[in-house]
Amino acid sequence: MSSAAPAAPETNPTTSSAPTNPDIIVETRSLGKIYRDFWGRKKVQALKSLDIEVRRGEIFGLLGPNGSGKSTTIKLMLGLLFPTSGRAFVFGKEATDVAKNERIGYLPEESYLYKFLNAEETLDFYGRLFDMPASVRKERTEALINMVGLQRARRRQLREYSKGMTRRIGLAQALINEPEFLVLDEPTTGLDPIGTREMKDLIVKLREQGKTILLCSHQLADVQDVCDRVAILHQGELKELGRVDSLLKVQDVTQIHAKGLDENTKSQIRDLIAKSQGELLKMDNPTTTMEELFLDIVRDSENRPGRRSSNAS
Amino acid sequence: MRLTPDQFWTYWEWLFERGGLLGGFLLALILAVLGFIAGFLIATIKYGPAEGFLQVAKILGEFFTVDLPKMSIRRIFAIAKLSFKEAIRNRILIVVAVFVVAIMFAGWFLDPKASNPAQLYIPTVLTFTNWLMLLMGLFLSTFSIPRDIANRVMYTIVTKPVRPTEIFLGRVLGFVAVATMNLVIFGVMSYFFIVRGLSHTHDLESLQNDGLAGETTSVRFHSHSFTLNEDGVGTTNMVKGHRHIVRKVGDKVVVSEQVDDLTARNPVYGTLRFTGRDGEENTGYNVGYMSEYQKYIEGDTLSSAIWKFENVDPKLFPDVLNFDMTLSAFRTYKGDIETPVGGVVIFRSLDGEVESDRIPFRVKEFQIDQHSIPLKLKGFRKGEPADLDFFTDIAQNGSFEVVVRCRDRGQYLGMAAADLYLRASEGTFVWNFIKGYISIWLQMFIVVCFGVMFSTFLSGPVAVIATISVIVLGMFGWFIDNLTTGKISGGGPVEALVRLPLQSGSETQLDLGNEMIEGAIKGVDRGLLFSVSTLKSALPNLYDLETSDFIAYGVNLFDGLLARHLTIAFGYFLMTSVIAYFFLKTREMAG
Repeated sequence: MSSAAPAAPETNPTTSSAPTNPDIIVETRSLGKIYRDFWGRKKVQALKSLDIEVRRGEIFGLLGPNGSGKSTTIKLMLGLLFPTSGRAFVFGKEATDVAKNERIGYLPEESYLYKFLNAEETLDFYGRLFDMPASVRKERTEALINMVGLQRARRRQLREYSKGMTRRIGLAQALINEPEFLVLDEPTTGLDPIGTREMKDLIVKLREQGKTILLCSHQLADVQDVCDRVAILHQGELKELGRVDSLLKVQDVTQIHAKGLDENTKSQIRDLIAKSQGELLKMDNPTTTMEELFLDIVRDSENRPGRRSSNAS
Repeated sequence: MRLTPDQFWTYWEWLFERGGLLGGFLLALILAVLGFIAGFLIATIKYGPAEGFLQVAKILGEFFTVDLPKMSIRRIFAIAKLSFKEAIRNRILIVVAVFVVAIMFAGWFLDPKASNPAQLYIPTVLTFTNWLMLLMGLFLSTFSIPRDIANRVMYTIVTKPVRPTEIFLGRVLGFVAVATMNLVIFGVMSYFFIVRGLSHTHDLESLQNDGLAGETTSVRFHSHSFTLNEDGVGTTNMVKGHRHIVRKVGDKVVVSEQVDDLTARNPVYGTLRFTGRDGEENTGYNVGYMSEYQKYIEGDTLSSAIWKFENVDPKLFPDVLNFDMTLSAFRTYKGDIETPVGGVVIFRSLDGEVESDRIPFRVKEFQIDQHSIPLKLKGFRKGEPADLDFFTDIAQNGSFEVVVRCRDRGQYLGMAAADLYLRASEGTFVWNFIKGYISIWLQMFIVVCFGVMFSTFLSGPVAVIATISVIVLGMFGWFIDNLTTGKISGGGPVEALVRLPLQSGSETQLDLGNEMIEGAIKGVDRGLLFSVSTLKSALPNLYDLETSDFIAYGVNLFDGLLARHLTIAFGYFLMTSVIAYFFLKTREMAG
């Protein structure tokens, strides 16, 4: 006699319907990817059952060490790879649907562009791929070249470009269609600190224009500075997901920033903490970040050419 | 020049009656079924049978509902323009330099003593250009997509709203544009090379017959004799495939540049049948040659070659009826070796009641023997002598027969259908030359289509090898056919490999002293030949698209044949487009 009740059927996320919420730009459902060799044998499981959403108007960061599955996730979202399990939706459509690309801009990890074209030809070419008429292509090419600061190099072949310049023309091609959703893979790679800051400022500016941005980076500072929410991946698995400010906030530690205190007052504060059964972890002069210091020096140097920066000791 | 019977088919005859359309349709059907089965099997391994079937159906559906209708001309042109620039910036024009150098020195290697220099110069140039274009098509087409995938530029292409068909079409269009530009340059240079290479004149060597006949000086290893009419105008005899016009200007005799070597005759061909020595129909005699292209008639018997011409338009022959012959002779005894074998030509009505007088000729081997008869001629009506009008009495409704007999007892005349034709108006050589280049273009186009198709799923070097296989099978498919049908003896590749070290002649039976091993070798060969033969039947027969003989021998390339070649090329273009689409659609660009 069989007493076991039939098991409830498992809902198969891969066959469920596409999302309809227009504020969800990207949605992955149990997204997985296994890389196989020529004979179909499993080489590596790059991504395991990833569930994330990227919401309209936010900067979403994908964070993780090398081999954590960040690039695989991006490639799955763009249809460059096909999932082994689960599904990925972009604008409510399957990630493999070509039509979604009309509204997407993509800056790859390295700027994979045709080196024999110059900046104008590159942007014109990508503009044509969006079926833009000549007048619109010309207008956008002009605006983007100015925006990324390549006016002087617009007629030079990309093979002559420095890494930073290549990155900038890469960004320009990603913006040629005025996309609603931007995918930026390591956007600050190869940029000097000033370029990095400009890139970060631009990313924030693009968000202010209403664009949604998915950013993938090793540079923790970049992610911290610009992202609204982050997903941290490790070994193909999602380890953390949430708002940057709440993730970074240490709930049981209080931070006080004060200026102009004498030693006596500092001593009273220590006593007060001790009286309240608190533990003083640290009290000293704060340090700025290296990035801030560097930028201050450069700014100061530009204001007063030829003199050693006042920050230097 | 050899013409096969199929080359005479009109375009519509080929398309509807001779299986052109049906063959293409069957090939498409077989490939579609095989493609579907292969796709389904692969999808089943990946997703299981049900989901696999859905995936295949989805891709098929998207092809018809989305990817085909939403193709953008602008995107195709963008990729085409990119391919063009890429090729130019990869210095493809170096090939032009190679061509220039080759042309500059080609004259050194062409035999100035050749019996017909035009028939040496034209095929040499066209064949060289043909192979150069095939190589150009091969190397242009096979590396770009694999390179884009390898250096990941493809990431920035396929993440734009670009459809697989647009990538294929854009690439093909761009490469074909580059190659066409080269081909035009080659064509112009070749034309001037040929014209300049053949151009010459002669001075006067001697005059006879009160200045109405004479001999020219010897230039380029030949001289001419000529006669002049009372107005002082005449032509030289035909030597090395050309003549000169000779004029008397005052006291001087001026010999013009050569004429009639660069021609584009418009032949009107008939169908050929034979009768034997007893007058009964047969298939013509084989005099012992392996080639059965020409069949022979026996001299001084009722053995005849009868060409039937139908619906010949009288407007094509307003003044005289021109006809050319390229017969060959076979002697069973030496006889008078100085005098060529003789024959007669008779024009007769289809019912045989009206026929012309016998027109005697002496066969001129290895050259075009040109004749013409007046439209008002003497002959016989029901056996009675009569004055005849060609198109009223003999060629009623434009249909008539031409009978050729050999006069010399014991000697034979050989002919194929193409060896006697009516020579209608002359086309222009330049246009015929261009048609020859269109044939080359079509071959290059097919190679580019296959190259780009292979490059959608193979790496660059492997795509090159695959495309070379297409070229080899396409150019030497006739060899595979002959091997499969046993016309070439010696067996297949394994048997040949065994015969080589044994130094066993190909005409002998394979004898290894062990029937089982012999059977195994022949069995493996049969399997191999069957596979290659099957593969070949799905691939373009590039050899058939080769038309340099038409240009070299001054025959205006038949429009029907050219239209057929265009259709075949378009068919392969469609086939490769669809295959490339499915490979691009189903491959992971970042895989």
